[in-house]
Amino acid sequence: MASVMKVLSKPLTPEEREKAFKSSKKVEVLARQRLPVRYHVEDFDVEDRPRRFLEAFASILKHTNYRLALDHYIRVTTRCARCAVACPIYDATHDPHDIPCYRSELLLSIYRRHFTVSGVLRARLLGDPGLTDEKIQELADSYYNCTACRRCHFECPMGIDHALITHLGRYILSEIGIAPRALVVSTREQLTGATGNTSAIPVPALIDTLEFLTEDIQDEKGIHVPFPVDQEGAEYIFFTAVSDYMMEAETLKGIAAVMKATGGSWTIGTGYYDGINYGLFYSDQVMEHALQKMQVEAKRLGAKKILMGECGHASRTAKYFYPTYCGGKDALPVISILEYTQQALKEGRIKLDPSIVTERVTYHDPCNFSRTGWIVNQPREVLKAFCADYEEMAPNGRSNLCCGGGGGTVSIDEVRPYRTTVSGRLKAEQIRRTGAHYCVAPCANCKKQLRELVEDQGVECEILGLHDLIYKAIILPPDPKPEEELDETAGGSVKLSKGGES
Amino acid sequence: MTAWIDFARGPLFRLCFALMVLGLLRIVLITLLGVKEAYQRSSDKIVSWKEIRRQTIGWLFPVARFWRERPIYSLFSFLFHVGMIVTPLFLASHVLLWRNSVGFGWPALPQEVANWLALLVIVTGTGIFLGRVLHSGARELSKFQDFVWPLLIMTPFITGYIASNAVISPRAYQQMMLIHIYSGDLILLMIPFTRLAHCALAPLSQLVTGIAWKFPAGSGDRVAETLGFADRPTWVPKARLATAPDAAQPDTKGESRK
Ligand code: SF4
Repeated sequence: MASVMKVLSKPLTPEEREKAFKSSKKVEVLARQRLPVRYHVEDFDVEDRPRRFLEAFASILKHTNYRLALDHYIRVTTRCARCAVACPIYDATHDPHDIPCYRSELLLSIYRRHFTVSGVLRARLLGDPGLTDEKIQELADSYYNCTACRRCHFECPMGIDHALITHLGRYILSEIGIAPRALVVSTREQLTGATGNTSAIPVPALIDTLEFLTEDIQDEKGIHVPFPVDQEGAEYIFFTAVSDYMMEAETLKGIAAVMKATGGSWTIGTGYYDGINYGLFYSDQVMEHALQKMQVEAKRLGAKKILMGECGHASRTAKYFYPTYCGGKDALPVISILEYTQQALKEGRIKLDPSIVTERVTYHDPCNFSRTGWIVNQPREVLKAFCADYEEMAPNGRSNLCCGGGGGTVSIDEVRPYRTTVSGRLKAEQIRRTGAHYCVAPCANCKKQLRELVEDQGVECEILGLHDLIYKAIILPPDPKPEEELDETAGGSVKLSKGGES
Repeated sequence: MTAWIDFARGPLFRLCFALMVLGLLRIVLITLLGVKEAYQRSSDKIVSWKEIRRQTIGWLFPVARFWRERPIYSLFSFLFHVGMIVTPLFLASHVLLWRNSVGFGWPALPQEVANWLALLVIVTGTGIFLGRVLHSGARELSKFQDFVWPLLIMTPFITGYIASNAVISPRAYQQMMLIHIYSGDLILLMIPFTRLAHCALAPLSQLVTGIAWKFPAGSGDRVAETLGFADRPTWVPKARLATAPDAAQPDTKGESRK
């Protein structure tokens, strides 16, 4: 089988390259920050960066497990460049600096030079001055060109996980003040701000939105579907990318409809309702604290399980790092709504009308779901159950292509030209080839990126979540109560819970 | 010259071989201890051993993976490795050497097959060398030693093949043997100290990666503390819920709601 990527691949034209890599930064900023990268960074001490970088590196090595991987990787790396073919970025730019292994080598060489005996001795012999500011600048640029999609991991015969290195590199950079402002500002609000979430949505606004959604469903389906709030002892506590409450009404309605149809006991906690965790993209400390907030809220409401909405990175952090930071094997189980819905469908607890969605549908695997093999078939089973015209992209599943906005880059608006011409290039082609009317992407990040991508690349396709489609097709059991009574209690659960809240 | 040859295939070979075994044992042990320590450091003991096993075995026998990307290069690389391991181990004259020096041996390959295998190593070795030179990405990525390795590894195969197959003068034969044995010894000696160590370490990669993703709880705060950022505003900076989930229970209500 010839490489599928070859078929899709279209090298960048010089104009596209120019557009994608142009920096929108002002000259003064560049001069002041001495950081020629495309994303904005908050002002931070520029003096003595190499020394501070090494200090941060040393301290991270001291308290974490990264040393294990670094030691191993520098022993086995053979720089064979096989990973090049896996990386959508390299495929677009054909710049050797975008080969995953080259990216990793940037950090590995610093490690070798400064943190291994042989490296230090060798540097003495050769009079190597060590880490320079230029190298840090290159690192800062390169590590945010990568979307941390982890596709290259599967192609490395030596088993090097380049995304782990990217993760570490970004962590070190963030400790010396180099991290995209877009991410830093959001997490600051999430961890220390008044609203406690990345989109700065206050509780009253949340409640309003939920009431509004309930009314909406009432109008569209004629059935009362509540969004339970602050219900103590609910089985599931629900977290999703908080931006969904502003931007993904359809997804939320679909989720609520599924919960209603299955009689699931779930709740949204007003103490903390944000699943987003940008810590995964740049800082272990942020990641830990955001997960702790989740833990506290889950305990407060006495939930038994954590239910994650349609968001790849949020679900991955919860699934794979919630146990890391919040109690290991005793941590609450984490379930994705995609698993929940598939299970319910299999057990016949939800009914989907196969005559509603007649247009062609395709499915985009969010990397954070599919790469580990956690969620690959579940959404497909659901889609195939009610979409007659279902078409796969290729490659898909575990070796899918990233939407181009992974690793937090989707939240960095100033790099949009890069995302839609370089990192999302193959994806746009993939979607175009399916000829699909709907592209289902059950991830807040993927959705935002794919919408911008199809717009900029001129692909005719509507991007939506899995539950958006489900909402269209779901057959809800009629309310048992007579009409008049129902009117009185519309939005009742919200009011009720408000009482119990204080 | 005979004395030099005898020295190299006698005591020197034994020394190099012993150093190789000890050296590899050392790094494998270091790696495994590192894995154990990292595992103990993280409170998350949920490791997907099945996935690690699957990936490891998949890469040990990568036949199914060739066709995905760069198929020719991958096939060449695979055959190169097979030939490189099998030929020296099962060549009749090598087995004989073992029998003479340590007192035991094992069945050898027919000379004919061994010859073909040696040729295979030479051809595929040249192939992957060219692959590195001609692939723009690989070329850019490679350091000097990356180009030298395939050539160095092919040296004993080329010389050995010539010595046992070509009709050459006894003197030339001895020269070939000299290069053959010394380069062979050199390679053995270098294995544990260079990236050739991947022969023993690569099977541990998936395990190492899997465990390295298990972060120790509280590490982020400790890093910040060490760097003097302890007062950096973060959410409940001192709560270590991971280590004491219940201790941090009280007064959380107000905390998270501000
Ligand atoms: S993680 Fe993805 S974007 Fe980054 S180097 Fe690997 S394949 Fe490329």
